Amino acid sequence: MKILLAEDERDMSAAVTAILEHSGYEVDAVYNGLAAVEKARESTYDCMIFDIMMPKLDGIGALKQLRDSGDVTPVIMLTAKAEIDDRITGLDAGADDYLTKPFAMRELLARIRSMTRRTVSYTPTKLSVGAVDLDVEEQQLSCKNSISLSSKETKLMKFFMLNVGKALSTSMIFSHVWKNEADVDESVVWIYVSYLRKKLEAVNADIRIEGNKGEDFLLVER
Amino acid sequence: MTDDIYGKYRPALKAVLADIAARIEAYNEQEKAKNGEMAYEHLIYRIKSSDSMAEKCRRKGLPETSQSALLNIKDAIGIRIVCRFVDDIYLNVRYIKAMAGCRIVQEKDYIKHVKPNGYRSYHMILEFTEPYEDPAGANPGHFFAEIQIRTIAMDSWASLEHQMKYKHDVKNTDIIERELKRCADELAACDVSMQTIRNLICSEQ
Repeated sequence: MKILLAEDERDMSAAVTAILEHSGYEVDAVYNGLAAVEKARESTYDCMIFDIMMPKLDGIGALKQLRDSGDVTPVIMLTAKAEIDDRITGLDAGADDYLTKPFAMRELLARIRSMTRRTVSYTPTKLSVGAVDLDVEEQQLSCKNSISLSSKETKLMKFFMLNVGKALSTSMIFSHVWKNEADVDESVVWIYVSYLRKKLEAVNADIRIEGNKGEDFLLVER
Repeated sequence: MTDDIYGKYRPALKAVLADIAARIEAYNEQEKAKNGEMAYEHLIYRIKSSDSMAEKCRRKGLPETSQSALLNIKDAIGIRIVCRFVDDIYLNVRYIKAMAGCRIVQEKDYIKHVKPNGYRSYHMILEFTEPYEDPAGANPGHFFAEIQIRTIAMDSWASLEHQMKYKHDVKNTDIIERELKRCADELAACDVSMQTIRNLICSEQ
């Protein structure tokens, strides 16, 4: 699990990072809102933690930009004790939860667990990129024509569509789509990417998956 | 028994069909010798029956003559090539286009542009110049043929869909059509997966 932490107070950031890493999370730490937006656009996270008061771009501005661009990653906002208005604007801007400072680290960890467990149910059942639509429930991919997908192909296509323009490593894809499956290894990723490429071709799609066997893959609009 | 709509042109028609079929079989052998795999799985052909042709003339408001049957209507000769893989369809298309004395009148790729009901196939109407007189009086004459090229999966869908649509008075048409289209999309998915697997195997060798 990968977390993006945007907190401008260096000591605070270092402490939170240490505890998160100790709890088994992978953490990217940034120190202002602009950097948070940039990081979120180039990488994929399971959860993001934003402080509200930050230089360059505050946490709410960063969150708004991400939500506007279609990023549905769960976000927890950190607010100062008296800032009720901040909490409201934060939630309205698309935050999933907030925590008032000072907070207990155990509570932050519990909230992260709760957020990431719910990710699945928050994802829309119909996704589109370019002129291509994916109906997650019907397992159908369509553009000029339509074609059926298997359940794994659907899951993989969904992961790509939720992360357009981001490089996804073979191991990241494997752990998202084939998590907890013992009888397969990472070579399955290449086979399924190959299936999807052919299927995108079959529906005359205006998007394509770039990348080579075993490396990073990237969904882009033509 | 009505008169034969093809009249004195029937022997020429038979000879032309036999010639085209022989040329298709020949490139199939050539492909097998070259790459160890056939260009197609099987080939079927027919001359449209005199009765169906007469009926088609009436439907199109044409006089029931060999002129209409061989010059205005272009599927007196019908050929179907059934392939195993999607890419093989295009291999056959290339072979056919390369045939001497063959002109493409019309070409429709219903695989890239699937019909709304889910039908997939590659259709070509071709004009062959052959050493027989045609109803316009030309010798060598011009004879038309319709060739349909598709995979086994596309072929099985088309034949089942045809049977269900025309043999019964279907109720709940909308839902049946939606389900048939879903089946077409699932079969197409299998075709694409099989092609991908074949490509993966070939690229590993």
